[in-house]
Amino acid sequence: MHSLLVKNAYVIDPLNNIRGEIMDIAIKDGKIVESVKDSAEVIDAKGQLTLPGGVDSHSHICGTKVNFGRYMSPEDMRAGRGRAQPYMYPVSGYSVPTVYANTYRYSKMGYTTVLEGAMAPLEARHTHEEFSYNTLQDTLANTLFDGNWSVMEAVAEGDLKKVAAIVGWTLAAVKGFGVKITNPGGTEMWGWGKDIGCIHKKVDYFGVTPAEILDYLIRANEMLNLPHSAHLHTNNLGKPGNYKCTLETMQRAPDLNDKRQTLYMTHVQFHSYGGSKWADFCSKADDVSWMLNRKPNIAIDMGQVMFGKTTTMTADGPMEFNLYRLHHNKWSNHDVELETASGIIPVHYSRKNLVNSIMWAIGLELALMTKNPWQCMLATDNPNGAPFVKYPEVIALLMSQKYREEQLKTVNPDTEKRVFLPSLDRELDINEIAIMTRAAQAKALGIVDIGKGHLGVGADADVAVYPIKMDDIDPSKDYQKIIDGFSQTDYTIKRGRAVSKKGDCLVLGDNATIWVKPKISEKNDISKDPEFMKKFERYYTVSLDNYPVQEEYLHRNICIETETGI
Amino acid sequence: MKITLAIKKRDNPYIPIEAEAITTKTFLEKKPEDISVWYGNSEQKLTEIFDVRVEGDAKSEDEVTIIMSGNCSAVKRVGEYMNGGIIEIEGNIGHHCGNFMSGGLIEIRGNAESWLGREMRGGKIICHGDAQNYCGSGYRGEKKGMTGGTIEVMGSAGDFTAETLAGGEVIIRGNTGNLAGAEMIDGTLKIYGDAHLPCANMKGGTCHVYGTAYNVLPTFEYKGLIKAGDQASQMHMFNGDIANRNAKGTLYAAKYEFFK
Ligand SMILES: [Zn+2]
Repeated sequence: MHSLLVKNAYVIDPLNNIRGEIMDIAIKDGKIVESVKDSAEVIDAKGQLTLPGGVDSHSHICGTKVNFGRYMSPEDMRAGRGRAQPYMYPVSGYSVPTVYANTYRYSKMGYTTVLEGAMAPLEARHTHEEFSYNTLQDTLANTLFDGNWSVMEAVAEGDLKKVAAIVGWTLAAVKGFGVKITNPGGTEMWGWGKDIGCIHKKVDYFGVTPAEILDYLIRANEMLNLPHSAHLHTNNLGKPGNYKCTLETMQRAPDLNDKRQTLYMTHVQFHSYGGSKWADFCSKADDVSWMLNRKPNIAIDMGQVMFGKTTTMTADGPMEFNLYRLHHNKWSNHDVELETASGIIPVHYSRKNLVNSIMWAIGLELALMTKNPWQCMLATDNPNGAPFVKYPEVIALLMSQKYREEQLKTVNPDTEKRVFLPSLDRELDINEIAIMTRAAQAKALGIVDIGKGHLGVGADADVAVYPIKMDDIDPSKDYQKIIDGFSQTDYTIKRGRAVSKKGDCLVLGDNATIWVKPKISEKNDISKDPEFMKKFERYYTVSLDNYPVQEEYLHRNICIETETGI
Repeated sequence: MKITLAIKKRDNPYIPIEAEAITTKTFLEKKPEDISVWYGNSEQKLTEIFDVRVEGDAKSEDEVTIIMSGNCSAVKRVGEYMNGGIIEIEGNIGHHCGNFMSGGLIEIRGNAESWLGREMRGGKIICHGDAQNYCGSGYRGEKKGMTGGTIEVMGSAGDFTAETLAGGEVIIRGNTGNLAGAEMIDGTLKIYGDAHLPCANMKGGTCHVYGTAYNVLPTFEYKGLIKAGDQASQMHMFNGDIANRNAKGTLYAAKYEFFK
């Protein structure tokens, strides 16, 4: 029976409408409680900023894709080296660091829950193996369905129930959490060296369009009662003029759920581009955020780009091929049989480069022009836009117009003509930052009910105490203090234990993997369907029996069972 | 200032010694008893591993000479980031000797292990014996390896000699293994013996092979016999590697065989 009292905390807890009250947080057995006895261990927060543990709803930290990034960039391991110390293994790497480096760095920044943005079902075991070493955050995995043959065939047949049955069985089999759709249809076309283009083109052989694949997967997602909504990486990522495709996708999104969004669109910065080629490339963040402002059924994450070296990695194989043709640097390309694709290349976002400078501005514009912070999450699509260690700088940019103006002076001078950023004077407050970095993310993922993203009684005791005294600083002017404060907590508390203190880990950690198991009736069990079984015999290199990830790969885990009615 | 480092007898001579502390600058700033090296997984005083003798004074690195004797083939990173002065190694030396050095001279009487002068910026390394793999190259994944200075190996060198060479000069008096000058972008590589698969994927710079260049890739464009290099006879000239856009590299070979 372990209990802990965090005293004198300056608490911001948006889900419980607490905005900067000095209070004590009582913790018992990993949960927040009303009060604890005097014998409890005490942490004095000294009036410093105290938030629910950070939640990252889109990041790439574990799995085959990240690991390929590691093999192909040994030079990345020259940065970010850390020696072994009690409770910490030696680490190295910056944009594709070791698993321990990721978990330590997230913990140092006060994050306690992270979602891996893209797990190919066929390669799920690797993701879970790495998850078990990502010891300081609870982990969840979005599971890729964008080029799934069975799904596309069921869509072609117009059989929604079957789509739901396939998705439901697959999620439970691979211990996935959400439905990820990366460049729908495009990843299958990539198997033939092609891309799909926009949402009304037909996928070769299957005869279905991205719009249809998405419509069906959104509805199947709701039919399965999944905690999270469909999670979409829209077609045409990174192409000038792609905002039209983004707007049409948004326009079509239905509103089917009253607890959360029906569609989560990820790294929207990469999808808000105007112009028709690189020469007239410009921001269309205004149109995209205008649409978002009138579509409460959609939530997005920024996909903020920050300057410096990083690695891009995505299931979007054809997009990475385009990037490779642009940079002529190293490139990894992968076709995941019957399911999806992937590509990886290292990049360097430069302030001198006009396109990169515009990309940097667009991410910030999206966050500043989205009226409701619950609809826009703070993320960099780690490591695609920048490694997540840049979050404190992103926070400061959103809170301080002065900081933005100073940064604008350092970027390509032609940027101002192509973006809206210089005209935006909005400065987000700490409550909005808390929404964008934890509360909204937990809500969007549908994990508030299992105790994430808030500090109410019964919630998981995941707490971050930052060395920031909100009453003593003006974030608009003291942006450096915001950056420093968010870079390293005084304490990160996970499930009721202090797990890191001023950047040093205090325990080896013991995370949980959160996954879903939709309850599907015997007659809709797709794994008993003769045609589905035949697909494994004829096309997959693994058998149906070897495909599911056994529970022993998960160590501690939280299974969310859902009622489906199918 | 003259420092003599005689390596002591060890129970296990294969345990690596990480000795980036052995550079001219360290001895200018610290007393020998305050310098430490890593012996396997334990940090030890330099004086535990070597018999150290210091004679005279110095005001700058240029006035420091370090003489190392005994079998130093497990002593790594000697002369890392060296800026001036002299290191003389009487026998063999371990991996990564002269990493990132930018000035001064390292002279090795024996053989050098792999990564001799990796990512060197300036100064000179002379190795009288053989050098192993990756002599004068960049480290793994690095696009830009050595950018300045000179490495001269009197014997032969291993595979990937001068990989990603971006400046300076690498001279191998003997043969090289596979892929010498691979990915080179600038600078000069001279091989007085034979080379295999030389300059694969080069984008710039010049390579001379005075022996036979074996397995020249078909992506090298033959330009004819030309008077080049420092020997009397004419040499075969190639442009490459045209697998790259705007490849500006030049390969000269006294004799050659295309890859079959
Ligand atoms: Zn992503």
